[in-house]
Amino acid sequence: MLAQNDIIAPSQTQFQRLFANGQLKMVLIFVPPAILVFTMFVILPMIQAGLFAPYKWSGYGPVPWALNEVTGKDFGRWVGSQNFERMLSHSAFKQAFINTLLVITVSIAIQIPIAMTMALMIYKSSRINTIFRLIFFLPYIMAEVATGLIFSFVLDGNYGLSKSFSDLMGWDKAFFPLAEKPWAFYCILGVIVWKYFGFHMMIFIAGLQSINSEVLEAAKIDGAKTLQTVFLIKLPLLWPSITISVFYAVLGGLQVFDLVMPMTAGGPSNSSHTLVSYLYMFGFIRLNIGYGSAVGVFLFVTGVAFAFLYRNTVQRGQS
Amino acid sequence: MAEVILNQVRKSYGAVEVIPDLSLVIPDGSFTVLVGPSGCGKSTLLRMIAGLEKTSAGQIIIDRENVTGAEPDKRGIAMVFQSYALYPHMSVRQNIGFALRLAKRPKPEIRQRVEEAAEILQLESLLDRKPRELSGGQRQRVAIGRAIVRNPKVFLFDEPLSNLDAALRTQMRVELAELHAKLDATMIYVTHDQVEAMTMADQIVIMKSGVIQQVGQPMELYNQPENPFVAGFIGSPKMNLLEGSLARDQNAAIVGVRPEHISISQESGEWHGKVRHAEHLGSDTVAYIDADDIGSVTVRLQGEVPMKTGSPIWMTPVKGNVHLFRPDGSVERV
Amino acid sequence: MFSWKESGRIIVLLFVSSLILVPLSATVLGGFKTTGEMRVSPFGLPREWITEVYAEILADSSFWRYLWNSFLISILTVALTLIFGSMAAYAFAQAKFFGANFLYSYLLLGLMFPFAAAILPLFLTVRDLGILDTPWGVILPQVAFGLAFSVMFFRTFFAQMPDELFEAARVDGCGYIRFFFLFTLPLSTPILATIATFVFVQSWNNYLLPLIMLNDREGYTWTLGAMDYRGEYSWEWNRTLAFVSATLAPAVVFFLAAQKYIVAGLTGGAVKG
Repeated sequence: MLAQNDIIAPSQTQFQRLFANGQLKMVLIFVPPAILVFTMFVILPMIQAGLFAPYKWSGYGPVPWALNEVTGKDFGRWVGSQNFERMLSHSAFKQAFINTLLVITVSIAIQIPIAMTMALMIYKSSRINTIFRLIFFLPYIMAEVATGLIFSFVLDGNYGLSKSFSDLMGWDKAFFPLAEKPWAFYCILGVIVWKYFGFHMMIFIAGLQSINSEVLEAAKIDGAKTLQTVFLIKLPLLWPSITISVFYAVLGGLQVFDLVMPMTAGGPSNSSHTLVSYLYMFGFIRLNIGYGSAVGVFLFVTGVAFAFLYRNTVQRGQS
Repeated sequence: MAEVILNQVRKSYGAVEVIPDLSLVIPDGSFTVLVGPSGCGKSTLLRMIAGLEKTSAGQIIIDRENVTGAEPDKRGIAMVFQSYALYPHMSVRQNIGFALRLAKRPKPEIRQRVEEAAEILQLESLLDRKPRELSGGQRQRVAIGRAIVRNPKVFLFDEPLSNLDAALRTQMRVELAELHAKLDATMIYVTHDQVEAMTMADQIVIMKSGVIQQVGQPMELYNQPENPFVAGFIGSPKMNLLEGSLARDQNAAIVGVRPEHISISQESGEWHGKVRHAEHLGSDTVAYIDADDIGSVTVRLQGEVPMKTGSPIWMTPVKGNVHLFRPDGSVERV
Repeated sequence: MFSWKESGRIIVLLFVSSLILVPLSATVLGGFKTTGEMRVSPFGLPREWITEVYAEILADSSFWRYLWNSFLISILTVALTLIFGSMAAYAFAQAKFFGANFLYSYLLLGLMFPFAAAILPLFLTVRDLGILDTPWGVILPQVAFGLAFSVMFFRTFFAQMPDELFEAARVDGCGYIRFFFLFTLPLSTPILATIATFVFVQSWNNYLLPLIMLNDREGYTWTLGAMDYRGEYSWEWNRTLAFVSATLAPAVVFFLAAQKYIVAGLTGGAVKG
């Protein structure tokens, strides 16, 4: 037995193993569907976005640089970096970018601390805590569109909360926060916190529950008070969960769209756009494929740059 | 250094009573081991002394002070946990010094006391490592260091050796005994392992279902068990607990004889039987014998004794080492 | 002392719960009110329970069609994601082949992708494939975007299965493909359920992809239908709220039934990353 194994060269065994028990057949059947679908609907479109970005093109014809036999011209017109220049100087785009940064800031600075506080309050297993957990998580599973519609009612100056508010203040004119420039986006931010804090809370609860309970008891015996336990033991031990939470907050924040549409659709006067709703309005609705692709490339670069930097700095060393 | 008195303590979770009514004195400077099968309430009792579990009724007195409602850090105790419970994000130095830091001791004092504790436990070279970089035995020592540094009146150990392998466990047993001699502090130690109890304790408390079965020195429990449970729990192999006609004839509920207290002979003896199986351990021979009218009897003999499965054999219990457990609860040794 | 702390905790929790439940209950109750009453008391109980609005929506065939379309798209998305994802993950976990690590990392790229960035070229791809305005135009991109995270979860799960099992089966003459269907899949029901739940919820709630890919009202999902409804009856809030409530009901029931798996998914994400 041993001798036989020694005779066969290692490379040869590896090669044989590839065919053993139909391994190669399995790989050839199992891997391509996923790779194909992923390439076709994720990677190729992203590459195309990069290729279309320097053109002015309405999306008709195969590609912007193909020759149209009827008109004798290309389907699209090469404009170089013009799309990017236009985008960066467009006030609505700047606002959309600022708004997106605001979403991320609020998610990290307000939403995550709220989520952490709630998680610390209800991470222990008990019947009451389970009920609160379900309630706090409920907004997360509701569709953004439904949430947006509900809050456009709540914030409707003729009906909802804001009517109660203006009645209370004795104003005779109805107050429509979603139609007021500084207020509209703050309302969206509030709804984002409302909708997603339960998601982050669940991540923290999972993290808290995986802390060895004897460690917390040891801290108690060492004389740590509630807040000392939180800041000196629990939060440091939750660091991996916090980094994941921040990652989701940023990548999710970059893509806010569904909530904006029912609440403000980007208005009033383009003040409440996010990057994605801006892309939709100015790229898709107007069929400016080149321009929209430029916005997409901007979004892509921002997202990937962040993800890459984050993984290699903050999350480095974590398994 | 302190005496610990438990006075009629009770513990119940809702309707479930874990410890019905328990009183116990743990003398100053003793090494007391609480031992019993899992679920007997020994860990709960230790955690009540620590202040990690509320006491439903009764008093806990440490060093003449009633600490029943006091916070854990105000009781003058330190505890070593089964999982060591080291703070994973802190270095060994920070782990050991954490309690002093919380107590707002000056930095030079913390440094000095941490180093003293490290010296006792030979941890000096590991002070700047993180727990995950330590071996099981080293972690165990850090956990003990964390306890030592607080200068507690009472040390509490919750099955501290159960996560170590057999060789390391034996070594740590010796180290703990030495530490007890050196520090001269009261130590309360919970385990389910009767060997740990016998080797380390100067007082053993045997518990079952929240009730103390017997308290005493190791040899006392071995020689004079007060009931069949204690008799069966202490000693290995287990004491033969024989029922049936043999017991009835001697007016006992159960007759107990330790395997090492039975002699054998080819020719004559009190009981007759056939060898079912024999284990040869070199230093000992353990034989399982089917005795006529009595049932299975375990016999432990010194040295290598040849035994053939199926061969007939005579057994005689050694005089003075037969425990007669009477139906009324009393014990007589003949 | 202790009970003060505890009651303070409960008060905070009840306050936060009310911030969540009041808008939701106003939504459900709103469908039972007249427009006039909604102006006066948007959050209170209805003075008179009006059931016509709900009845009208539930009798509306387009409402049921929206739900059916959403359901069909979600189910097919789940099925394809599970099949493609688990097969690829199995290959990555079980077999050593040239380029395995590269292909796995390639799929994981999808995890750091803001997928909306490529929405315009994606629209053109779907159009050129001739599946615009069909469920497939939504399903295939959803599957593609769900693959990264599902392959990652599947692979972690498969890698934790004991090697001895596969070795024992191999000794008994079981090949890779047969082992996948006879052992791996049946033993993976927890992870299958978790991923299925996540993919389903995401698909059910999706708005951007249907918005871009579906133009024909016949094929609308319920999210598109809800927005349409809002546009149509803009000042009759009771109608919109009733519509939203009627679509939320199945989602909430589903959530309560599947919450175990949702929580498991989040926990897995927190542990792994």
